[in-house]
Amino acid sequence: MQTFLQYTILGLVVGGVYFIAASGLVVTYTTSGIFNFAQGAIAMLAAFTYWQVRWGWGWPAPLALLLVLGVLAPLLGAVLYQVIMKNLRGTSEVTKIIVPVGVMLGFLSLATWIWNPTPRTPRLFYKFFGANATVKIFDVRLTWHEIIAFFLAIVIAGGIAFLFRRTRSGVAMRAVVDDPDLLQLNGGRPERLATLSWAGGAFLAALAGILITPIQGTAMSANALTLLVIDAFAAAMFGRLKSLPRTFVGAIVLGLATNYVIAYFPANKWTWTGAFRSSIPMILLFVVLLVLPQDRLRGATVLRTRERFRMPSLRTAWIAGLVLVVVVWALRTIMATTAINTLAYGITLSIIALSLVLLTGYAGEINLAALSFGAIGTIIVFHYGISGTGNDARMTLWGILLAAVVCAVVGALVALPALRLRGLYLALATMAFGVFVSRMVLTEIGERELFGIKFSIFQGGSLTIPRPEIGPFDFKSNDSFLMLATVVFALMAVGLVSLRHSNYGRRLAAMKDSPAACATLGMSVVRLKLSVFMMSAAIAGVGGVLMSAQLGSVNLDRFDIFLSLVILLLTVVGGIGYASGALFSGVLFGCSILAIQNTLTKLGSDYKSLEAVFGFLVSAVSVMPATIGVTMGKNPSGAITDIVESLEGIKKSKPLMLTMIGLQVLIWALAWQGVINNWHFVIFTAANLLIVPPLGGAVLKNMALKKAGVEPPVPPELIGIDRPFTDDDRLAIEHALGLDAVPLPVSAPVHHQEEAAHAPA
Amino acid sequence: MPLLETVDVKVRFGGNVALDDVSISVEPASITGLIGPNGAGKTTLFNAITGLQSLSGGRVMLNGRDVTKLPPHKRARQGLARTFQRLELFTSLSVRDNVRVAGEIRNRWGLGGGRMDTNAEADRIIDLVGLRDVADREVGEIPTGQARVVELARALMIKPTLLLLDEPASGQTEDETEAFGHLLGRLAAEDGLGICLVEHDMALVMNVCETIHVLEFGRMIASGTADEVRNDPAVIDAYLGAPESVG
Amino acid sequence: MTIIEPSGNGHEAPRPDGPHAPPPEHTLDEPPLLQLKGIRAAYGPIEVLHGVDLVVPEGSVVALLGPNGAGKSTILKVCSGLLQPSAGEVHLAGRIVNGASADQLARLGVCTIPEGRGIFPNLTVRENLWMATMAGVPLDHVEEVAYARFPRLGERRKQLAGTMSGGEQQMLAMSRALAVNPALLLLDELSMGLAPLVVANLYEIVAQVSEEGVSILVSEQFARTVLGIAQYAAIVLHGNVTREGTPEELEDELSAAYLGS
Repeated sequence: MQTFLQYTILGLVVGGVYFIAASGLVVTYTTSGIFNFAQGAIAMLAAFTYWQVRWGWGWPAPLALLLVLGVLAPLLGAVLYQVIMKNLRGTSEVTKIIVPVGVMLGFLSLATWIWNPTPRTPRLFYKFFGANATVKIFDVRLTWHEIIAFFLAIVIAGGIAFLFRRTRSGVAMRAVVDDPDLLQLNGGRPERLATLSWAGGAFLAALAGILITPIQGTAMSANALTLLVIDAFAAAMFGRLKSLPRTFVGAIVLGLATNYVIAYFPANKWTWTGAFRSSIPMILLFVVLLVLPQDRLRGATVLRTRERFRMPSLRTAWIAGLVLVVVVWALRTIMATTAINTLAYGITLSIIALSLVLLTGYAGEINLAALSFGAIGTIIVFHYGISGTGNDARMTLWGILLAAVVCAVVGALVALPALRLRGLYLALATMAFGVFVSRMVLTEIGERELFGIKFSIFQGGSLTIPRPEIGPFDFKSNDSFLMLATVVFALMAVGLVSLRHSNYGRRLAAMKDSPAACATLGMSVVRLKLSVFMMSAAIAGVGGVLMSAQLGSVNLDRFDIFLSLVILLLTVVGGIGYASGALFSGVLFGCSILAIQNTLTKLGSDYKSLEAVFGFLVSAVSVMPATIGVTMGKNPSGAITDIVESLEGIKKSKPLMLTMIGLQVLIWALAWQGVINNWHFVIFTAANLLIVPPLGGAVLKNMALKKAGVEPPVPPELIGIDRPFTDDDRLAIEHALGLDAVPLPVSAPVHHQEEAAHAPA
Repeated sequence: MPLLETVDVKVRFGGNVALDDVSISVEPASITGLIGPNGAGKTTLFNAITGLQSLSGGRVMLNGRDVTKLPPHKRARQGLARTFQRLELFTSLSVRDNVRVAGEIRNRWGLGGGRMDTNAEADRIIDLVGLRDVADREVGEIPTGQARVVELARALMIKPTLLLLDEPASGQTEDETEAFGHLLGRLAAEDGLGICLVEHDMALVMNVCETIHVLEFGRMIASGTADEVRNDPAVIDAYLGAPESVG
Repeated sequence: MTIIEPSGNGHEAPRPDGPHAPPPEHTLDEPPLLQLKGIRAAYGPIEVLHGVDLVVPEGSVVALLGPNGAGKSTILKVCSGLLQPSAGEVHLAGRIVNGASADQLARLGVCTIPEGRGIFPNLTVRENLWMATMAGVPLDHVEEVAYARFPRLGERRKQLAGTMSGGEQQMLAMSRALAVNPALLLLDELSMGLAPLVVANLYEIVAQVSEEGVSILVSEQFARTVLGIAQYAAIVLHGNVTREGTPEELEDELSAAYLGS
């Protein structure tokens, strides 16, 4: 009884904090239609900032609270909405998920940048009034902090109810959900309300972060703290992202369940308790998704989405694949071993990213845990796909195929509950799966016995995976493995393009564009979704296996959910509709970021006086993926679209193309012969790619114009210098400044216009 | 036996009754019109028939078989096809592929045998409806009037016996509408299709429809031939408002 | 205060900019309250208005008539600021207001009751009225006006608006128009889905609002209903205004426009 009471009360406390975080999610989702994946990261940032102010600088608690909760958090929320989330109107569901994920990753790297992860003295985060300020309730000793947390949860529940029922802004927030246009016709400002709700949501996240950090009692880690609040997703889902009372119930159930597990399955007797306890929120999230009622079939989003992808022809795909293999082969000859390994790692990641191109780019569904399928594949290969031992150990082709099949089956199990639901729910199901794999499967490092069979899933916490041998080909050497990975990527990429041109691919596109129309043509949408998810999981599995083979030995950090998210984010940035987007993602993540950071570090050590500057740049680069991710709202079709468009110009001009290829071969030959070193190779290549096209383009255009007897146009900044101003120029400038297009200053304060309106016409 | 019969179909949205005991039927080789003022529930009725909208009461019968409990794709496999008032085209595909993919979906129905050569069939239908000139364009680039014809072509690809058309002529020019009327007539007469047409272009409806049902406030207020409906006082009131209702 | 002061209205509702604005100067060649010049508008790539010209003189009721899908609602969306025209000019009291958002126009005295019940179904009656105060009228005043005109709303002030009958919902929407004291009232398909008796009742209110000097632009399929109170009417077909005139001039052509005789 004593145990029951104690853990019940603790469960209520934890549940209360979950509710605070979850209510923030509900508030922002209802008013802006964006699920704030960054909620956990905001909580984490707030906890770190509070720690800094309270103990780092020694401010008194009330002042620190006022700063973090009263000023910084709401400000952060408001700025987030105004600068980033507002632009997501009219984008696809994929972009609406990716951008908040990008924000989350950005905050994470920001926190590890500011609060260097390994301080000399561990950061201690104390409870309010300290750990010794306790009272006894029903024979249970509780700290004041826990009591405060629980009552705050109740106060907040009441406060939100009051806001939504008794204040005009709160009622207007509910009105926005009903009909934002009508609210505007009433004179309300939906944008302002959404900003307000994001400020409120960030406040709630921050409060949850500050409350739960000392309750959990572990050392402060950015990743762990972020995931802690992600647990609240399950509670929010319990209320279907709408109902606050149901969210409250969900949060309390979650809090109680996790505490009863500790109470009744003590860790000293049950080795799986810790892992199971931390997995409960994700298991619960999964269960909730299972029981949610079916969504109505979505109609087309013709007018609403801005994303556009043009499919390359199969011939273009073959040429591109061939070019890739040749380029990698050429690079290989001039690269050091470490560089070859880094590039191979990047390309195996690109294969994983290809699974996302198929799933997200072609079919419009989302997988937030691609690497977790890689982990499953790796485990299968480790147990069933290796022949030989020691130095002679090789991965077998059958092992790789088995891994693909198992991943497909696991993928089906993960996707099944969410297939009837909208994309966001499938995304959350995959995330639950990813966290579950990290917390429950990859922690299975010891030996277990079940039905007389002894096994250990993730033996010793680190698996050694050898390189493959397929038929007569041995890929043990770094060179050969790089070429294997490249060829596999190229073949899969061409395979995907040809799939997209097949009738299966057309059916995927049709499903993505209008599930409702597909159903009325007799398509079983659920079956098609399932098949593509399975295929995608299999590709991710194979990519993961190859990644593990490249690395040689892998631990659970290699399959972290956050890495999956970075890969997804970069693929979307590159262009989720294209195989080249996957290459962009893998190579950027696996190689370029590292390469840039290494370069900057090297420069820093070369020029001691500027070391601080370069150190700053190294950190800044780590925030880069997230930074470019959050710009997606403005350019949802990805970078590849831009690159392809710029390439169009080159393709049209044969002389230019030939010049560039010639130059590039020359640069490579010089490097190969050792005339120039690799740094120069990189710099010359960049120059060739970036400077030659516009320069050559301008030259060619001028030549063409001269031939036609027309003066080349003078660039705008030289007008008035190269030739005198004309009236047309003045008009153009006024137009560019918007001077001719503002008959009424509507953005000016209201009374000005009205006074103007009263003036005689 | 009628191809389609709705029996006392009822649909409620919250407290509002969108359809109240609506019973219509569509016969083979005939064109039936469904007209009524805005908000009368015509599109809702189509959604209820195709299974995109669940019923609060009543039944939907296709070929004498009760399909009320079947999901949309299974109803389609009974020979039911439709177009949408708010275009539901596959925007990442070209006009030809929009049509072709419908045939490819049909090939996956699992009926055994009966597979079509989707390329040839798509070409035949594109010629039939007169889309050859725009066949290789992106669907997002063509005008609405033609986009509606693409929807019709796509629906025809699954070789339906019953075709529901939701405002197919809106956005079409007068010439296009006239050609469209002829096409519908041919589909009914030559291929024996049962067609149900929701349309606001009264000239089109009055010209091609043998039977016209009139909906108002989710209820059926009149049925009959074009002349009967045109002269029905209830219909005139529905469209112009009852004369005695002012002051 | 509002763009043009509605005359003869008993309620002097305060505006966001305070009560001290100068009285309007009426000149002989005063511009019409609302004027559309060559309006083109599109939903995405689909153009639905192809150059609409329309005038609403101050204090008059103008009816937009025509079959469904002709572009009546789109014209009203452009006037209310919900849809930005792709070409042409919207003049309000002689000033171009292209680019003004719907909420700015609302606070300038344009009141719109959109198509299909202008209410929030998941808000109570009282909360719905509360939202009307965003245009700058106090809640007490809105409630007073609404409950005095529609006692039934007073009885149901705590009921969710979505659970009321269609007629009651439309009354709720109309009480906003009554209470906020607008310069221009835009009504879209007021009668949609309502019984004729309810429609008649609603149009009595519209007539009453009009007598208070409010200019009204109303789109309506039930032509006869609205022609009784309109001074001018315009027939909209295929995204163009095809005919304009007084109700008497137009009545004969209506049947043709609707039923394609």
